[in-house]
Amino acid sequence: MSLSTMISTMSVGMLRTCGIFALTLLGALPLGMLVALLRKSRYAVVRGVTRGYISIIRGTPLMLQLLVWYFGPYYLFRIPIRGWRFPALILGFVLNYAAYFAEIYRSGIESIPVGQYEAAEVLGYTKTQTFMRIILPQVIKRITPTVTNEVITLVKDTSLAFTLAYQEVFSLSKQISASQTSFTPFVIAGVFYFVANYLVEFVMLRIEKALDYYK
Amino acid sequence: MILEMKNISKRFDKLHVLKDISFGVDSGEVVSIIGPSGSGKSTLLRCATFLETIDGGEIIYMGKKAAHTDADGNAVYVSPKEMREFRTYCGLVFQQFNLFPHYSILKNLTDAPIHVQHRSREEAEMTAMELLGKMGIADKAKAYPFQLSGGQQQRVAIARALAMKPEILFFDEPTSALDPELTGEVLKVIRQLAEEKMTMVVVTHEMPFAKAVSNRVLFMDGGVVVEQGSPEEVFDNPKEERTKQFLRVFER
Ligand SMILES: Nc1ncnc2c1ncn2[C@@H]1O[C@H](COP(=O)(O)OP(=O)(O)O)[C@@H](O)[C@H]1O
Ligand SMILES: [Mg+2]
Repeated sequence: MSLSTMISTMSVGMLRTCGIFALTLLGALPLGMLVALLRKSRYAVVRGVTRGYISIIRGTPLMLQLLVWYFGPYYLFRIPIRGWRFPALILGFVLNYAAYFAEIYRSGIESIPVGQYEAAEVLGYTKTQTFMRIILPQVIKRITPTVTNEVITLVKDTSLAFTLAYQEVFSLSKQISASQTSFTPFVIAGVFYFVANYLVEFVMLRIEKALDYYK
Repeated sequence: MILEMKNISKRFDKLHVLKDISFGVDSGEVVSIIGPSGSGKSTLLRCATFLETIDGGEIIYMGKKAAHTDADGNAVYVSPKEMREFRTYCGLVFQQFNLFPHYSILKNLTDAPIHVQHRSREEAEMTAMELLGKMGIADKAKAYPFQLSGGQQQRVAIARALAMKPEILFFDEPTSALDPELTGEVLKVIRQLAEEKMTMVVVTHEMPFAKAVSNRVLFMDGGVVVEQGSPEEVFDNPKEERTKQFLRVFER
């Protein structure tokens, strides 16, 4: 197999990896905010359940979580799992990353001085306005570097999709390497992850710069 | 009367911070509140501006009751919807300014008028520029809070409160977070507001300022108003021993 055939065979996997990455961010970034707010709910039950969820997600391997989401419906309810592979994968990734993002958001929200809330309250902003106009923009600036870390981890974590035999770039590189007895697929995969993360860093730095107009 | 606080009582758990405090503020009047640290001055302002809820007593703005004590002795506030109107009556200037760092100076002054009071952008910006001019910082409209000195930031905070066109403005030690050389510029704008008959309540440790600018002075200690009267009465002829003791510290 020539290098160009290898790359073109693996490019399908690269697209799938990008798919996992994009869908996870799309789901987990907003869901994390919801979780962070539920974590601070005035109802103790809601707070408790949210804490439990975060703690289970953070306390168990993502690989195991993926297996549970994929096989759970069958073993628990005897539901056939045909066509369930990709949804289970995305569900597992989104719920996992939402928990981590939630904790990042929470620490960001808690780092905003209480004076900001009080100033907004005296000026008559509603609770929603205070959060959306005053608090959230400042939170986003503060957490951007931490989010960057998490997003870079996600790029690499997408390789865990091999657990469910989903043929993204990492699974493919293993397969092609074995069938062609070649090391090259691993190099291609490595370059792919590195370039992807380079792009992530570039974009996130631009965002940080764009938010640099105030302190 | 713009504001009447009657028999205000406030506790933090077991700590009785305000004990049966009563005072009123007439239109155009400047009232100074002095007293040692921990005497409840900030808490009183925070109750008046609805940042804290009282446990007993009455808060009356413009003759309308915002809070009263029911038959069981519990403080009852009007509905949240009605509360909104009461909030528009009062403004508060904090010791720590609490400007919004992500907004330009101009936006600090216009955001609430536009999004809370639903005034037009043009009108809000015109009012804001006028106020910044009055505060002597019109050239800073496009700057961000971190680019300003403490004295300038506090003047922005005063302008931000005034942009809401409150009936009464409260100041909680507006110069205490400032370097001594910057207090003058802030006191000057408050004095200017007093000349324009802005109704104000000022908690301060700047005794010469309080004496010069106030119509009335309240001396608080231990959660009660120990003494109140004209500046001459309180500063030059204090009746209470505690007042005398407190003022002695400031004479040097
Ligand atoms: N949120 C709070 N929780 C508990 N105690 C408080 C709180 N705010 C103020 N206090 C206490 O109430 C008392 C009066 O405080 P404060 O009104 O800030 O006094 P001052 O402004 O005159 O220095 C102090 O003993 C202070 O520790
Ligand atoms: Mg105080």
